[in-house]
Amino acid sequence: MLRARSDGIGDDADTPRAAARSRSTPVERWFAAQGWKIFAFQRDTWQAAVRGESGLLHASTGSGKTYAVWFAALQHAVPALAKSGPLPVVDVPVAAKRAKAINQTGLRILWITPMRALAADTARALEAPLSALLPTWTIGSRTGDTSGSERARQLRSLPSTLITTPESLSLLLSQDDAAARFGTLDAIIVDEWHELMGSKRGVQTQLALARLRRWRPDLMVWGLSATLGNLQQSRDALLGEGRGVLVQGKTRKKILVDTLIPEHPSRFAWAGHLGLQMLPAVVIEIDGHASTLVFTNTRSQAELWYQNLLAARPDWAGLIALHHGSLDREVREWVELAIKNGQLKAVVCTSSLDLGVDFAPVERVLQIGSARGVARLLQRAGRSGHSPGRVSRVTLVPTNTLELLEAAGARHAVAAGQVEQRPVPDTPLDVLVQHLVTIALGGGFRSQELFDEVRTAYSYRALRPDQWQWALDFVARGGQSLIAYPEYQRVVPDADGVYRVPDAAIARRHRMSIGTIVSDASMQVQYLRGARIGTIEEGFIARLRAGDRFLFGGRMLEFVRVHEMTAYVRRATSGTGAVPRWQGGRMPLSSTLAHAVLDCLEEATHDDYSGPEMQAVKPLLALQQQWSALPTARKLVVEQLHSREGHHLFFYPFAGRLVHVGLAALISYRLAQRRAATFSIAVNDYGFELLSATPIDVADIFPASDMGGAMFSSENLLEDVIASLNATELTQRRFREIARISGLVFQGFPGQPKSTRQLQASASLFFEVFRKHDAGNLLLTQAQTEVLEQELELQRLRETLAELRSRSLQVCGITRATPFGFPLMVERFREKLSTEKLSDRVARMLQELEKAAAR
Amino acid sequence: MTEDHSPAGGALDIVVFGEQLSLLPQRAVLWRARKMLIVADIHFGKAAAFRAGGIPVPHGTTRANLDALDAVIAAHAVRHIVFLGDFLHAKTARAPATLLALQRWRDSHPDLHLTLVRGNHDRHAGDPPLSLEVEVVDEPWRVGPLALCHHPQELPGAYALAGHVHPVVRLAVARDSLRLPCFIFGEKQATLPAFGAFTGGYEISGKQGEQWFVCTDDRVFAYPQPI
Repeated sequence: MLRARSDGIGDDADTPRAAARSRSTPVERWFAAQGWKIFAFQRDTWQAAVRGESGLLHASTGSGKTYAVWFAALQHAVPALAKSGPLPVVDVPVAAKRAKAINQTGLRILWITPMRALAADTARALEAPLSALLPTWTIGSRTGDTSGSERARQLRSLPSTLITTPESLSLLLSQDDAAARFGTLDAIIVDEWHELMGSKRGVQTQLALARLRRWRPDLMVWGLSATLGNLQQSRDALLGEGRGVLVQGKTRKKILVDTLIPEHPSRFAWAGHLGLQMLPAVVIEIDGHASTLVFTNTRSQAELWYQNLLAARPDWAGLIALHHGSLDREVREWVELAIKNGQLKAVVCTSSLDLGVDFAPVERVLQIGSARGVARLLQRAGRSGHSPGRVSRVTLVPTNTLELLEAAGARHAVAAGQVEQRPVPDTPLDVLVQHLVTIALGGGFRSQELFDEVRTAYSYRALRPDQWQWALDFVARGGQSLIAYPEYQRVVPDADGVYRVPDAAIARRHRMSIGTIVSDASMQVQYLRGARIGTIEEGFIARLRAGDRFLFGGRMLEFVRVHEMTAYVRRATSGTGAVPRWQGGRMPLSSTLAHAVLDCLEEATHDDYSGPEMQAVKPLLALQQQWSALPTARKLVVEQLHSREGHHLFFYPFAGRLVHVGLAALISYRLAQRRAATFSIAVNDYGFELLSATPIDVADIFPASDMGGAMFSSENLLEDVIASLNATELTQRRFREIARISGLVFQGFPGQPKSTRQLQASASLFFEVFRKHDAGNLLLTQAQTEVLEQELELQRLRETLAELRSRSLQVCGITRATPFGFPLMVERFREKLSTEKLSDRVARMLQELEKAAAR
Repeated sequence: MTEDHSPAGGALDIVVFGEQLSLLPQRAVLWRARKMLIVADIHFGKAAAFRAGGIPVPHGTTRANLDALDAVIAAHAVRHIVFLGDFLHAKTARAPATLLALQRWRDSHPDLHLTLVRGNHDRHAGDPPLSLEVEVVDEPWRVGPLALCHHPQELPGAYALAGHVHPVVRLAVARDSLRLPCFIFGEKQATLPAFGAFTGGYEISGKQGEQWFVCTDDRVFAYPQPI
């Protein structure tokens, strides 16, 4: 099937270049023909691949990664490409030459990408060397965007190389001839693995790989990843524990992190301030460069900055654009293309542009507000400086004075090469339940065989037989094995013990809901005339009345009406309006970055203010020191204040928002155990505040004998945290995703038959029914575990408690809020700790409503 | 329309068209004068229908519904139960175990008068088996000044009680928020919350002249401002 070409790589042994050619491989000659040098890391990757080894290639920023793994896969699949001398000539039948679209080789290489938007660009890059080296090979992609006709063609025969997403791969695995279709596979590349590994999509990928490895035991797998704090684990999660090699890519250039220093840094940091006072400085930066990406942390912040930039520079209309995840796909694609073509001066964006193809024209990256983590900062820095000879540079734009501290910390951490770890999900049973049905569709399974296979996936390496049996019973019997439900039919074993899906309707419903991305209920936003703008959460739309204005997609819009899950709007001529708030967790400050900040504070206590950021924040820190003290990694500072509002206690552990929520609830709960009290709680990334109507005796928290040992004890931590927070409500919220992934909740589709609608119920209803009638349901346990680990960062809370126990304590009585305390004191969103009965709670809430109405 | 809070059992009494009705926290209306219990949207066999569709729902919801009925029957000496539609959830709700449980329950209350006002689900699921001895009628079914219905509607010369909507209200104060099942009483008609143990809710927004009553497990509260 292989065939040498006569255009410089081939067969003419008489020419002077032939001698050199016989010492080089076809791949080397192709690189030479492009005028490219082969990097050492590319050679390392290829050599490992020729030996048949799998691996993970990582670099924070860098080029040549794609071809490193692409040629690794090709040389593994076609060994002749790695041997010196000409490619052997293989006669290709004329008919096959003509019908090139019909793949002769079967599927050989699978390329998995987290973003379907990347598929087209990836295909172009992979295709480039093929015409010279392997002209009979075909490339195709299979994502949610693939057309029906293309799907039909792929149903007949898959291309030699298929570019796909984890969801589409699972969908292919659910076809009953999956084993045959993947039976010729030689290699798999997983692109942007760091993006997948921490999520359930990554787990879905692990399970798919386990499946494919069973069919093809010699399958080679290579991952591409950004630099992470836990690369070994990242490799293990992709390849199995202790397997495969780690190759470090060529880091293209140094990364420069700097900060736009405000002219007059205020001594008081106002949380939630959008930092628009930095607008003029940002305008100057954008003006001075050909193309800039302006990253913000939230979609509403992006909308505001875009609007304000336009107001400041009306002449930039058409030259600057907005990009975030709620905008319509067509709009986003247009913006991406325009950046690539160098047509845009600036794009205000969110994490929606963290990933994706290289934007060569981008010279500059600005980060508005804290990036919250070092890895994210590096990722964003890497979006700039792709032109030769340029550096990757990210400039931090603090939105309040305390963020200067974070900027200083970030610079420290980047210089020291400290990057966050990314945790891998542990035994998520919802994904397993989905996988069982997928495999039952894709040819069926025997229990023991699939159990062994699933255990080779890293996230399920500790899967216990009882958990397995539970998941199997859940899909095969509808619940615990002790109860018989004769009417239940989802996955049914045949006489040989092979589990399959007998019902076509169930099969169709399952295929439509494969995947692990669960989005909030949202509504299309569309002009009356028809053009789509994007999607907004239902909750926001529900609060709008006709005529209300809101900012979306960079325009002021006027709400007209809702019809069939679409919100119709028209352009508003002028005026101001609300900015939609999208839900979605605000990321907490990472532990790595928080510790870097504590180190900077430590230096400040020794009067060491190095760097422009520390110089700028010096007046604030000096005031904090004068009125109170500076917290460091060795000292916990607690401030006590009496105001008209009541009695305040401020703590500064610097452990990130989520840990502070848990910590504040824990301490107030433990205090309330000793003496009845009600606390109002405010948190931010640096600390938290407890506010009480009655005096809080600090000696109660920190008796001289143990200095907080009991308060910060890890004993009974789990029980206390669950008791102190409204854990049930948190868990119920978390259950939404689990219900959807495990197939309990089916999102309807247009034109669905009535019989499907009768099978729709909300996740919260399932949650209630399970809690009442099946308390042992492991999906409930999973929801609680996820709340504890992800929303409350229990492990980090435990570590923080240990750190706090080892820190010395300084309690400062203060007469007014300090620079660190001020943002907490003005925080409007407060949690309340109470242990009321439902009826009492409702009675109180109704009373409050009544009071408000009477006003 | 007047209201009065009777502390017994957390119920709340209101008067419509001269008839006193008790709103029970069990999400049902008790017409004491006639010892009649009115429940909406019980959806028997919904869990079984889900299971038949391949969605694993644990058993226990039919039992929970029957136990809840028993508790109210015992507490208020109920002689007559009127179901305001959606007695059975779907055709596939007629699972043997479900029907058996219903039959046993029926057999333990031989003197109880049962009436079903047909709802939209009943049209697909079919009438209850004859052995359950349920009188089946179409809406509106007039009893005194009341018209018992499944679909909310206004009727001349009668006050309509209906179901179908499964109304819930979001009670939100500061950062605290709860969804609670609710009775809606308007000038000429009322909507009851769903009685069933496995029924969801539809969040309603207020209309002029409506009064809301929200249920917790043990009490019914008047909601202060309907809009």
